[in-house]
Amino acid sequence: MKKGVAMLLITALTIQGCKVDEEFEGPSLTDLYGSFAILEDFDITDRSVNFSENESTTFTATFNKNVSWKLEIKGLSSGAVKEITGFSSQLDATNALWNGTTTVLPMFRPEECAVELTFTNEADTLRDTLNVTGGRVNTGFLLSDFETGFPSGWNTFVQSGANMTFIVQNNNGAAQGARYYDMGGTVGWDWLKGLINIPATAYGSDHFELPSNPNGLFFNVMIYKPEEINNALVLFQFKEDDNLDGTYNTANEDLFAVEVAPSVNGWSLISVNYADMVTLVNGQPAAPIGNGIREPHKLKEVSVLFLANPTSGYSQSYMDYLIFTQNGPLIP
Amino acid sequence: MNKHLLYLITIALFAIPNVHSAQTAPKKFTFSGAARGYFFGDRLDQDLAIEDTITIPRLNSGHVMADLGLNIRPNKNMEILGMVRVRNDYGGFWGSGVTFDIRQLYVKGVIGGVVRYQLGDINYRLTRYTFWNNDQEFLQNTPTIFKQQFDVVNYDHFHNLDNSWRQQGGAAEWGLVFNKFIEELEFHTFATRVRASNNSSINDRIFTGGNVQIMQSKFLKLGWNYVNLIDVEGTSRNNTLFRNPVSSFSAKGNWDNATWDATAEAEVGTSRTRFLNDEEAPENNGSFSEVRALFKHKKSGLFARGTYKRVDSDFRSPGAQTKRLNFAGVPTAFQRTGNDQSLRPLTMLDLMRESSMYNMQLQPYLMTFLPKYDNITPFGDATPNRQGVIVEAGWKTEKGLSVEVMHANLQETRGEGTPEARKFTRNQVNVKWMRDEISKALPRRAALELSLRQDQTNRAGTEFYRGVELTTTVASLGLEFELYEKLDFIAGWQFIEYDGFDYTAVRNNYAEIFNFSEYNVKGKENMKAAGLRYRFSEKSFLSAQVNMFDFDDADVNTAHYAVRQFMMLYQINF
Repeated sequence: MKKGVAMLLITALTIQGCKVDEEFEGPSLTDLYGSFAILEDFDITDRSVNFSENESTTFTATFNKNVSWKLEIKGLSSGAVKEITGFSSQLDATNALWNGTTTVLPMFRPEECAVELTFTNEADTLRDTLNVTGGRVNTGFLLSDFETGFPSGWNTFVQSGANMTFIVQNNNGAAQGARYYDMGGTVGWDWLKGLINIPATAYGSDHFELPSNPNGLFFNVMIYKPEEINNALVLFQFKEDDNLDGTYNTANEDLFAVEVAPSVNGWSLISVNYADMVTLVNGQPAAPIGNGIREPHKLKEVSVLFLANPTSGYSQSYMDYLIFTQNGPLIP
Repeated sequence: MNKHLLYLITIALFAIPNVHSAQTAPKKFTFSGAARGYFFGDRLDQDLAIEDTITIPRLNSGHVMADLGLNIRPNKNMEILGMVRVRNDYGGFWGSGVTFDIRQLYVKGVIGGVVRYQLGDINYRLTRYTFWNNDQEFLQNTPTIFKQQFDVVNYDHFHNLDNSWRQQGGAAEWGLVFNKFIEELEFHTFATRVRASNNSSINDRIFTGGNVQIMQSKFLKLGWNYVNLIDVEGTSRNNTLFRNPVSSFSAKGNWDNATWDATAEAEVGTSRTRFLNDEEAPENNGSFSEVRALFKHKKSGLFARGTYKRVDSDFRSPGAQTKRLNFAGVPTAFQRTGNDQSLRPLTMLDLMRESSMYNMQLQPYLMTFLPKYDNITPFGDATPNRQGVIVEAGWKTEKGLSVEVMHANLQETRGEGTPEARKFTRNQVNVKWMRDEISKALPRRAALELSLRQDQTNRAGTEFYRGVELTTTVASLGLEFELYEKLDFIAGWQFIEYDGFDYTAVRNNYAEIFNFSEYNVKGKENMKAAGLRYRFSEKSFLSAQVNMFDFDDADVNTAHYAVRQFMMLYQINF
């Protein structure tokens, strides 16, 4: 027994020793208190990048300590902004790679971009430029980006109010590309200002060619709110042909809806999971009209209703880039 | 195998009654308790360029109180204690300032002559790494004249001399006695309620554990210790549950002959800190080990002790790391000073007497501490992130002289903010001489105490951050001399000087370091006191003393001030 105790003591001493762990606890004192220095200059691996061909570019720099940094890339023509942030002592492909995505809409288009690298608690600002020769192309079922005008097969109904502007615009204000759809006007007797019906037949089939599983399927649209307009409502309706008889019956087939009240000035991306869509009556969730099952493959028609309180006067909103995406919302 | 087990149980059943039954019949009712009269008269003197016209410079306070306890023994196997505290602040006549509290309540006894139990208020401790109430800063070597005030706050907060924690719950212990291989097997277990639920967002929290001790012989004792701080599920709507089990294995071996007495002790253990149902919370696993050996020369009274220890930075043991002092608090006496009424920093005068700064409950996190007072062992022996050796030597004579020297050479197990570990050095000398009779010709009691401690913390800096260099020096001198029969002159001096720089860790709710703050100190505190004490008996005395405290700090608004204190204490225990 005495030997056992002695062994225990020796073992404890031998195993533990007086070694110090290699990893330290807490944030690095060098990072917190060290003076900041740039060891390798800020650089861009590809200054002429075509995102439509899946190209990407990497920003590089090396500092003498870990620091909170922010990269801001701004499209000089579109005004698009991409922000990349991090806390590290090095910018490289693991933390500063850009594949053409956008943080603040609109999306980047072929244009010159200004790049700015700034640091928290440090005065240094590093600047450079690069040229985007092709914008990012997203995969999905594109309803329209209005780049070729108003799509054939779509039809509209526009009230005969004042200053009605249900037209495709081409004035450098699009969220994606060059063109977008402008909806606006004053209708003093009805909430509805105008509507657009987008039938599946416009795409050459009786039903939209979408998967049957609504989970992971997203409807995406970019909506613009003019600064002075606060009364717009955009209602998207998804009409399913539940019994697959080739027509949508309003009495006994599902109509799911997404209502958007633009609240942030400028362009915003709206992405809604098809599985989360509900039936709306006067803007409130209600019991389904049909079988209550979200069946994207039975989608017969999409309608876009532009609404506003008739007593609230002129209303306006733009929309662009209506697209269904799978496995997640659109990453513009 | 079965025969062998039966043999052991039979021995145990016959043996236990023999252990516990040899007691004389006590009285059915007895009284116990204490009484105290306590008075302070303070005067604040500030050395300011512009006179402070706001702070009231004089402060008087005091109280008289009695703890009245009734012990009831309904039968020979049961005892009930109920103690009430009646307290009246001076100036609180006609009911104002009078308080009545239940100070202590317990039931204890023996079941079937085998299991001892206690329910209600219990004082409990296990080992220095599992469940231990460490002394507060400066207590151990402070002169008697200052210790009188420490004793008052420690008594009021149940901080006992045996380093046990006062808890509320239940405890039980029983034992088995054998005649072969091992002498005795003891089982101790307890469960206490640390925190009550608010029926909304705070769960009940209990502290539970126990140990098993094997007395193999007079030469060897082994033990397994376990404690756990547990949030009880379902006692509130909060489903985040704290868990902090700590287990350890301890061993103690003794050996002696006619000349030498030797003892070797070891304890190794682990801890696991978790917050169940909280995805953001980390899970920390820590460990510790300590080995110490003591050699005593019987004839000369010389002794030497060596200790090696390693306590991981992630080792968490609320039962052994909770501090008596809550340094996040503020003093109540002269809380704000100066014309801008800035908060007065805590001093050793406050540590000695500020009741509001004392903590009575186990805390699940590492409490705030002041590096200028103790940067090496702020959480006692279980202070995490320490490893190294401690060497002690001493001499104790039969003529009342004891001399002890200590050198500790420790460092961190894991650097904080850098891979470089802090290095800690402590050198300490304590000399004590105490005689009940100086000589036959001068039959007077006398005592002299001298203590000197120097702490040093170092870590090299780089071009990016400062090096750490913090020095604390604590010196004290105490004197007692019996002027006339039972009338003593008592005097003391205690001095602290601190100077240097360190980075103090700022921790989040999970006790993880997320930032550091720069800690600059340069100052000194000087406390001198003299007075008279009359000892009515070993359990009662009257003491009157004048205390002069000076505070001088280069880095705070209250750069220099002094507190002149008159203190009178009458204390009786019965």
